[in-house]
Amino acid sequence: MLFGCPDLVLQARGINLMKDGVLVFVDQNNGKLNQASWEALAAGQELAAKLGCKVSCAILGNSASVAGQELASAKLDQVCVAEGKSLLSYTPDGYTLALNEIIQSLKPAWVVFNHTYQVRDFAPKLATSLGSGLASDCVGFKVKDQQITLLHQTFQGKFICEVELTGPGPHLLSFQAGIFRRDSIRHQLKCAPVRTFSIDIPPDQIRTQPEEAFREAKQSVDLTQASIIVGVGRGIKGPEGLDVVGKLAEVLGAEIAASRPVCDNGWLPMDRQVGSSGQTIAPKLYLALGISGAIQHQVGMKGSQTIIAVNKDTEAPIFEIATYGIIGDLFEVIPLLIKEIEKLKALD
Amino acid sequence: MNPNTMTSPRETIEADVIIVGAGPAGLACALRLAQLYMNSRKTETTISINPENIYVLEKAAEIGGHSLSGAVIDPCSLAELIPNFLKAGAPLTPVTKDSLRYFTSNRTFQFPIIPPFLRNRGNYVTSLNRLVKWLGLKAEQAGINLFAGFSATELLVEDGRVVGVRTDDKGIDRNGNPKSNFQPGYNLRAKVVVLAEGVRGSLTKQLTNQFDLETGKNPQTYAIGVKELWEIPPGRLKVGEVVHTTGWPLSNQQFGGGFIYGLSANEVSLGLVAGLDYEDPRFDPQEALQQFKTHPFIQKLLKGGQMIRYGAKAIPEGGYFSLLPTALEGVLTIGDAAGFLNSRRLKGIHIAIKTGMLAAETIFKSLLVNDFSLTRLSEFEKKWRASWIHKELWEVRNYHQGFQGGLWQGILHAAFQTATGGRGLWKRYLSTPGHLRLKKLSKAIPNKPKLKADGKLTFDKLHDVYHSGTTHVEDQPSHLRIADYDICNERCIREYGNPCQYFCPASVYEMEILPDESRQLKVNPSNCIHCKTCDIMDPYQIIDWVCPESGGGPRFEGL
Repeated sequence: MLFGCPDLVLQARGINLMKDGVLVFVDQNNGKLNQASWEALAAGQELAAKLGCKVSCAILGNSASVAGQELASAKLDQVCVAEGKSLLSYTPDGYTLALNEIIQSLKPAWVVFNHTYQVRDFAPKLATSLGSGLASDCVGFKVKDQQITLLHQTFQGKFICEVELTGPGPHLLSFQAGIFRRDSIRHQLKCAPVRTFSIDIPPDQIRTQPEEAFREAKQSVDLTQASIIVGVGRGIKGPEGLDVVGKLAEVLGAEIAASRPVCDNGWLPMDRQVGSSGQTIAPKLYLALGISGAIQHQVGMKGSQTIIAVNKDTEAPIFEIATYGIIGDLFEVIPLLIKEIEKLKALD
Repeated sequence: MNPNTMTSPRETIEADVIIVGAGPAGLACALRLAQLYMNSRKTETTISINPENIYVLEKAAEIGGHSLSGAVIDPCSLAELIPNFLKAGAPLTPVTKDSLRYFTSNRTFQFPIIPPFLRNRGNYVTSLNRLVKWLGLKAEQAGINLFAGFSATELLVEDGRVVGVRTDDKGIDRNGNPKSNFQPGYNLRAKVVVLAEGVRGSLTKQLTNQFDLETGKNPQTYAIGVKELWEIPPGRLKVGEVVHTTGWPLSNQQFGGGFIYGLSANEVSLGLVAGLDYEDPRFDPQEALQQFKTHPFIQKLLKGGQMIRYGAKAIPEGGYFSLLPTALEGVLTIGDAAGFLNSRRLKGIHIAIKTGMLAAETIFKSLLVNDFSLTRLSEFEKKWRASWIHKELWEVRNYHQGFQGGLWQGILHAAFQTATGGRGLWKRYLSTPGHLRLKKLSKAIPNKPKLKADGKLTFDKLHDVYHSGTTHVEDQPSHLRIADYDICNERCIREYGNPCQYFCPASVYEMEILPDESRQLKVNPSNCIHCKTCDIMDPYQIIDWVCPESGGGPRFEGL
């Protein structure tokens, strides 16, 4: 998609007013467009095609010009790139002011977004600053006699209402993810001209200080991928009991899972719950420690290849499906198991 | 309302009619409204009513998911609603054989004659779940919007008038904070709200408390029905066979009895109904059902079969003198929610359907003349009083109350009442709310030994609960609001021995043993099968059952 016209990319052109046209906001991260942006672009192209008007896009941020190249072969009338210190990372104030400036100078009739979390964050603010309406989270549109009717779901999708934005533009719209498809994007041979905006926002106008991008420390546990799982039940009595279980899991290289009461009491996070209201697992080896084995738990783990159950109660139903059963106190059994496993590992 | 979720704006939607609960009453009301609309369109072209403005809200994820009954139904009102109901595919099996038996622990005596009110020729055996699903289809085909997975959690009341309902907030974590999928509920405003929530409805409860509706009435008394659906080798029970039992495993002091219905060639519905006015705080309805199955008569029936579904539901037994006012400013109450049930015939579905239809007729007229005043809505009360409903309920007005002294006294009262047109010894038998009849541990008869479940014929509670198909989002606030845990852990534990752990048929309440050997109440809301027994039977009345996040709850397939 980058072939063709590198020299044109950064070349600024004269102002290309797009009265009655469509402007699409595309978002990028380190120069890569995200899926939502491609979808927004597809939406904008389709809207413009139906209206028979021009379509442009606006990209903000530190690597906007790199991302702009990625876009150049898409069928667009122009690509507007806005860079500036204040846009190095996302802030609602910065994006609102920058887009406000771009919109004011291009004067599009329609501004199209994809309904991402970020857009939800700043689009209402942008609409207010422009004195415009915003139809958010739309699932489609109809065009008749140049009049656009937007479709918006309500009541959890049971109803679709038709929304018309009246009054002077520009009108802002956002579309739900997945409504328009990236592969329907129209291309052109000629490269779209790129226009660079240099946005200068005084620092005091940006009231939020972005911190480092948050990344979840660990993906939520996918127990289905683990080949050995140590499952704990009510028998561990309290969160203190988890230490020794953790040790066992460590020497086995296993993941820890639990039956409902353990997660319900907050001793382990809920994403470790196995059973009818948790995950269903089928590891090579499952150790059921202090789990009585009610049917609600069994349905989540009975596909395990080998099941070793440790329980004080000889009549615990877990023994009915266990390959090996140990009747005893898990706090006595586990240390012995750890010792034996460590011995075996030392032999290797 | 949690402060963290209060700030979110709510969408307001205007409707003409909101029906809370898609059971037999609510669906009959909706369907009848649609029919009246279609009929009037034939004659008038300018009718201003639109069935699309009639909303039916249902807390179950699927229509019928929370509908459970025995059931044998009298088709009189269904025939009025859908005249060719059998041709139209109603899932009903004609009753082919009828018997009434008295059980002792190992013997059974068949009553030589069945009292007329218990004769079921001309009636149909059904699964209420299937019947409701079918009625739902009919209503949808008639253009009614059914909103499964939406519960109404609050009545909107302005200046003493019910003006709508609020649907539940979705996506709240167990501490009451919004999760990433948080969605505030809607304010649904309507010209008329119809409460068709079924027994002990949450909004009906709110209405009752807010407008003090129980004053001067007999307190509503209830029973709990616990049932299992079994698949058995064909030929054991006639298709359409109905067996009712009295006696064991209930004591003769208890109101209730068993039922066994041949639903199809290989399906049998069996269960036990026990009055929620028993005395022994350790009585456990689920365990009683297990015992019931060990009777030789039933063992023989079930041998080699398989239990496929389990469920439970409370039943309003109070009758005529416990009925709530059925028409108030902006709201009508129909079916079980109001207490419409004939406890002598063990039937309420036919009345539920009829009240739904009569409510629809009242509302339709209101819509036509655009008058929703109490005078206009009270037409509903007049209509049901003028119909056979009144006659049927009046004849048995003192029936359930006659059983407060136990089975034998009850039979005598019932006989005398029959002879005097329902009156009996007194004009109006008074009754005590069931929870007040529970005896304290010190005065109750000692506990019977616990039954040991064998996993084939008899099951422990958790196993049964699994077969109710119940699921709830785990990370949500408990929908069983307990006003004061200290009462449970300090007072009830001594006085009544925490009867919640026994009467709850779904192991929602358990006494957890702490490391120091003391015991403490632990609530497992996700096990709940929405029977409402705890809200009814708790001796201190400190449990408030509110709707969990909608879509949660049992799946009473075939019950």
